[in-house]
Amino acid sequence: MRGPRPTVERLDQPSAYFASRNKRRRFDKEQRDGDEETNMQNDQPEEDPLKDATTLYVGNLSFYTTEEQVYELFSKCGEIKRLVMGLDRFNKTPCGFCFVEYYTHQDALDCMKYIGGTKLDERIIRTDLDPGFTEGRQYGRGKSGGQVRDEYREDYDEGRGGLGRAIQARQRGASREYHEDDYGRLK
Amino acid sequence: MADYDRRGGGGGSSYNPKKRRYRDDDDFDRRGPRRRYDAPPHVRVRKQLVAIAENPMRPWHEEVAAIATLFTDNWDDELLRANFVDLVLQLAVEQPLKTPFVAAVVLLANAARPEVVDMLLAKLAPLVEAKIALGEWREVKLYLKLLACLQSCLEGEGVFPVLEELFARAVDLQTASSEDTIGTEIVKIILLTLPYVMVAAPGQWSQKAADLMEKTEIIASEPHTLQALVEPYHPEVGDENPPQSQSLIVLLQTQLQNEANNGWALSCLPRPWEFPLGEVEQRSKLDDAAKHALPAIRIPKTVVAGARPLFPEIYFSVYANQEVESVPPLNNVAASLIRDALLDTINVLHFNRNVTARHLIDLDCYFSPRTFAARATPFDKLRDIERPKSTWKPEDVAVDAVFSQLFQLPNPEQKLVYYHSVLTEACKLAPAAIAPSLGRAIRYLYRNSPRMDLELSSRFMDWFSHHLSNFGFTWKWTEWVDDVYLPDAHPHKAFILGALDKEIRLSFAQRIKNTLPDPYKELIGPEKEKDTPDFKFANDDAPFAAEGREIAGLLKRKADDEEIEAVIQRIQSQAIDREIDALVASTDVFVTCVLHVGSKSLSHVLAAIERTKDRLADAGAASDAARAQIITATMTYWSAHPGVALRIIEKLLNYSILTPETVITWALVSRAGNTRGEALSVAYVYEMVFNTVVKVTGRVRQLVAKPPLAGETDEEQQEAAATRDREIGAMRALFAAIEDALASWATGSKDEMMEASDTEGDSDGERLVRRWGERWLRVFRRRAAIEEAFLAEAEKERARKAQQQEEGKASSMQVDI
Repeated sequence: MRGPRPTVERLDQPSAYFASRNKRRRFDKEQRDGDEETNMQNDQPEEDPLKDATTLYVGNLSFYTTEEQVYELFSKCGEIKRLVMGLDRFNKTPCGFCFVEYYTHQDALDCMKYIGGTKLDERIIRTDLDPGFTEGRQYGRGKSGGQVRDEYREDYDEGRGGLGRAIQARQRGASREYHEDDYGRLK
Repeated sequence: MADYDRRGGGGGSSYNPKKRRYRDDDDFDRRGPRRRYDAPPHVRVRKQLVAIAENPMRPWHEEVAAIATLFTDNWDDELLRANFVDLVLQLAVEQPLKTPFVAAVVLLANAARPEVVDMLLAKLAPLVEAKIALGEWREVKLYLKLLACLQSCLEGEGVFPVLEELFARAVDLQTASSEDTIGTEIVKIILLTLPYVMVAAPGQWSQKAADLMEKTEIIASEPHTLQALVEPYHPEVGDENPPQSQSLIVLLQTQLQNEANNGWALSCLPRPWEFPLGEVEQRSKLDDAAKHALPAIRIPKTVVAGARPLFPEIYFSVYANQEVESVPPLNNVAASLIRDALLDTINVLHFNRNVTARHLIDLDCYFSPRTFAARATPFDKLRDIERPKSTWKPEDVAVDAVFSQLFQLPNPEQKLVYYHSVLTEACKLAPAAIAPSLGRAIRYLYRNSPRMDLELSSRFMDWFSHHLSNFGFTWKWTEWVDDVYLPDAHPHKAFILGALDKEIRLSFAQRIKNTLPDPYKELIGPEKEKDTPDFKFANDDAPFAAEGREIAGLLKRKADDEEIEAVIQRIQSQAIDREIDALVASTDVFVTCVLHVGSKSLSHVLAAIERTKDRLADAGAASDAARAQIITATMTYWSAHPGVALRIIEKLLNYSILTPETVITWALVSRAGNTRGEALSVAYVYEMVFNTVVKVTGRVRQLVAKPPLAGETDEEQQEAAATRDREIGAMRALFAAIEDALASWATGSKDEMMEASDTEGDSDGERLVRRWGERWLRVFRRRAAIEEAFLAEAEKERARKAQQQEEGKASSMQVDI
């Protein structure tokens, strides 16, 4: 623990996303094996998986942002050990996120404090502490292969392929029907 | 941290799938109808105390009185009572700008509930003691500042005995060694605490203060012997008006002397404990409040420097010598007091740059009214302000403080990128106010960059490009357009070239080109806009073109090493026929091919290096020339994007395919030699050497600082010590090699320079190169000196620990018996 609650919020805390995911995971686990013993164990303070995290999830990148750009910015907090670009599951093209791994936990925390929420390639990027990259996580988990958030996104984002892909597909579908209809009428 | 990707962009989009999906299964959020709810007193007091003085519309005495009353009215609330004292102490070290205001609340509370001060002092005194013992000098200073603000409710001489005792330690230290920095730090703390005592208890302590300052003068009247080491400017011999740097401690002593002669007016400091004449009741309550004895604060006989090495400090300002004073002048104590409070705020709040920026923007809230001109007053309008109204621009004062850290030698407390991020946030919070101030700072730094220490002008370049990348790369490049036509080795041109390269690294060439006026566009050649560099062996005219293509093909299909070896042999025998260095020739072809195969991205090239690392290591180990050729090939292949080349070289160092010496020799002997020294003006060459040195020194520091592992055998310990000594030796040799290479450039005794002057008499170019040599030399001499100081300090520490352990063993043996 870091001592008493600071009078100013810290920027190097994991986001609500990680906390809620963990909470749900714990909850599921309790449901699954709900006998007394595991509940007893759960009362013990759990080891924080982010205690020594050296990896960051980096989000809201443009699809066009390159590894070199990520290196250039993120090296300002310390030498990068490994960089894994997030890829579209099907096309294997960048889909707007990556994992940056540093050599030290401190570098990762500094990155949260000094780089998260600043711009890279003229987009405000998001950083989140991550328990560590595992094979498979480099791929988007959305239906169409990209990130889930790019499926139903209603705002037009040029750096991330325009509208959400599900919405684009719907529109394409709709316009095709319309054209076919048109064609039919001409006939 | 907030979810940035959800902000902006969509604007009015009401449908937020993420939110809705998550709400369904969030078992912990049972929101009922909102009830009217008054927070309990301890929550309200915390909230108000944390936000104290932030609202400029609220008179201080009202706010202070309201919080004090809320606190004392709920005295029976145990939670509140316990939390209050802790919160006061926490605020003192977390939000130092608010200390006088928090102290004022305590003073008022003291009138109704005198116990509160006793509770506070009972915790504060041991804290000061503990921080002194640990050598955490900033915390010592901040707690003493709180104590100083409470001087009026302390018995006897209050905080003075502590200051005097501290001074006694400083004298001991300074007489023991002229290079001592702890004593200087202590004197600085004393001098910075005094003014707060003087405003907290006006008129009572002038004699005491005069006595103390008479004593500090001996230490504070002359610059420290180590000051030359941290001097930010490095003017050329014959510079007509070199910027004068002022030692912080010397300045402080003279400023306080002025102030003493002035009856301790200290007009910039807030006095939130003063009530308007009309509020007779409050005034008399404060006057009659109980006095408290300060518990003894014991100061150990030997004091330590703490985790952060101390160096003499210099007062740095980017707004010096302007036609209108937009920051406090050097003879005014406000310059030091405001700067000090801001620096503490900045360095303490590294964990939330947004709040740091907020404090900087709101800085006028924390000093007495009329200390500053109105916010966002344009610089041109300062001229119209009639005296005695202040012309100090709060934005300039704030920005100046951040720059003083960014340009602090040898290193500021936090990573440089933190200060970048503070300036970015400040600029986002109040663009209209901050951006023009930054603009003037940039102009000052650009103008003075040739006479600045090279490490600092390089930091400037790095900040400048990073800052622009956060603001659409907009800068008024037109004002430097004449400098585009200067020779590349001119410091201004070198800055422009370096800054553009860094901008491109964070973006891409076409984008940056579009932000530039026409003359600059020539500086960004078409090769920079290509996705991947040309493969020289694609052209049949290149020597070994066929072999190069063959190797690239083999690498692509991950062929066996024997197949590659066969081609390498062919290259080498051809090279021998052509009477060129066979190892160099084959290394060049092989490395170029590896780079070509991995040209798509850094991951690709790293994978390619990983697959071929044995062959690369063998090639590098074969001869010095071959090892150097690895760098030449990399720099040549990625010549349009030196940033990529530097990353690759960094990784090759990690693989030990390259050695630090190879990099140094390549840069300072070969490359510099081939360009008649002009390579020394190139930002990425400096970056390459600097990064390499940082890597080596970082490793040594890690080894030196590593405590012996528990349960380590003597043998293992000896081995660790041997590794340590070997690495230290290698580091020293590296610094010696750098010194050697640079000294001849700095004195102009390099063969290449002699030849050049024989043939062309190119005295201007020669002068520029000599100057670059001097600047480089100074940077790396300093680095070497600082590492030596670190080693000496670590050696002392080890001896101390060993002694402790011996004593520990001895005492435990006694127990055993």
